[in-house]
Amino acid sequence: MELIEIIIKSIIIGGLVGFGVGAGAARMFHAPKVQGMGAFRTLGELNACAGDAASHFSFGLGFFFNAWASSVGAGAFTQDVDHRIIPNWAAAILMRKGKRPEDTLHNPKKMAIAGAVVGVVVVTFLNSTASAIPESLQAIAIKVLVPAANLLINPVMPVIFWLAALDAGKRSGLWGTIFGGAAHLIMGNAVPGIVLGILIGKGVDDGGWSKVTKTLLTSVILLFVLSAFFRGFDIQMIRSFNLEVPGWIIDLHKLIGFEVK
Amino acid sequence: MTNQQETETLYNKSFWYADWSFPIFVALLSAGIFAGTHMYYQYHIGAFNDVAIVAMLEAGLQGAGYGAAAAFGASFLFARILEGSLVGILDIGGSLQTGLGIGVPALLLGAGITAPLESFVLSLATGGILGIVIGYVIIGIRKFTVGQSNSTFGADIMMGAGNASGRFLGPLIVISAASASIPIGIGSIIGAAIFYAWKKPVAGGAILGAMLFGAFFPISLD
Repeated sequence: MELIEIIIKSIIIGGLVGFGVGAGAARMFHAPKVQGMGAFRTLGELNACAGDAASHFSFGLGFFFNAWASSVGAGAFTQDVDHRIIPNWAAAILMRKGKRPEDTLHNPKKMAIAGAVVGVVVVTFLNSTASAIPESLQAIAIKVLVPAANLLINPVMPVIFWLAALDAGKRSGLWGTIFGGAAHLIMGNAVPGIVLGILIGKGVDDGGWSKVTKTLLTSVILLFVLSAFFRGFDIQMIRSFNLEVPGWIIDLHKLIGFEVK
Repeated sequence: MTNQQETETLYNKSFWYADWSFPIFVALLSAGIFAGTHMYYQYHIGAFNDVAIVAMLEAGLQGAGYGAAAAFGASFLFARILEGSLVGILDIGGSLQTGLGIGVPALLLGAGITAPLESFVLSLATGGILGIVIGYVIIGIRKFTVGQSNSTFGADIMMGAGNASGRFLGPLIVISAASASIPIGIGSIIGAAIFYAWKKPVAGGAILGAMLFGAFFPISLD
């Protein structure tokens, strides 16, 4: 019974996702005049195989096996289902008779329909085979994967992003270090802070302190202040410095509904 | 009409190319991705993201707190919306798959709201509505800023770092499998080696090898 439920849901999900991904990918070829969605690397990879249905298919297939292993193992599709498998297989279907990319891959209507078909098949296949795996086996996968993923989240990813920020220039390095460190203190992971630091640093490098970059900096600081407040970081910080927490701060927390001990 | 003008009219008038239809495409994709997270919440399958990122949500579901997933997802969503409208390509990995598919559910669950993840229909609706909002925000920012800035805001650097960290997962899985038990470790080494020889991502082979050997030599799971 559960399997039928999973299949029906997968068909709906696959159709929706495939339609959106297909249309978005085709629209990328008309950017920046038309707003597309996908990713720069997807665009590059689609261009690299352009015109050859077999290349598109085998490129998607390579990632399909990885996605399958990951789905069976951890219930995670990998981002490649949306980034690589659906766009490349949709392109392969449309180009199978040697049609030009301009009339197929670059056409949002055709790509949306082909994408929806591929999406239904891929999502249903991945979900139904993953759910057929005995739970004890999934448990082993989780037992292996979760520690690996935890290492990746902390400290591997923060370090890689941090080094990338330091290598990207003085401003990115400086803002990345400040916001990265603050993010680890407040949110428990440095990556979001470093990403925002790079965003500000490179934004200023390329365009100076314009309205856009100023707004960006203000909203990032606001984001940090708000998340610090809602996680009670302000009170913890004051206490860590062996200071008395002013009554009005505790009252403010109570007002919002976050009781502080 | 010249060719150039024809293209311009096509971009403005046609549903498939216009700015006004963009939120609709985002909404459909978002509805699917959010419902994918519902599948993960309900059956432990079908989340539209990488193992490393789904593991953050899993950590929250296991009771370790949703802070990391919420902060990671929300800031990615924020950064990608801004970048997407400036460069003309919305990165669905950061904005929708991570931001909307992991960050928003973590925010909701952290606040004790479970309904949008428990019900399939509600998950579709939540994803769809948020997708429309995201789509309109992007078109809105586009209207204000296009031509004002030529910066990509370091998107290339972040993508490079993102891809580099993905590469770490393969070796990390083998290390983690080798720490779990000897048979599972051997299985994952063989799997990783075969996948490498086939020029496939090592992580996939390492997981499958570990599971295969784990089936014959189970380890106790507390």
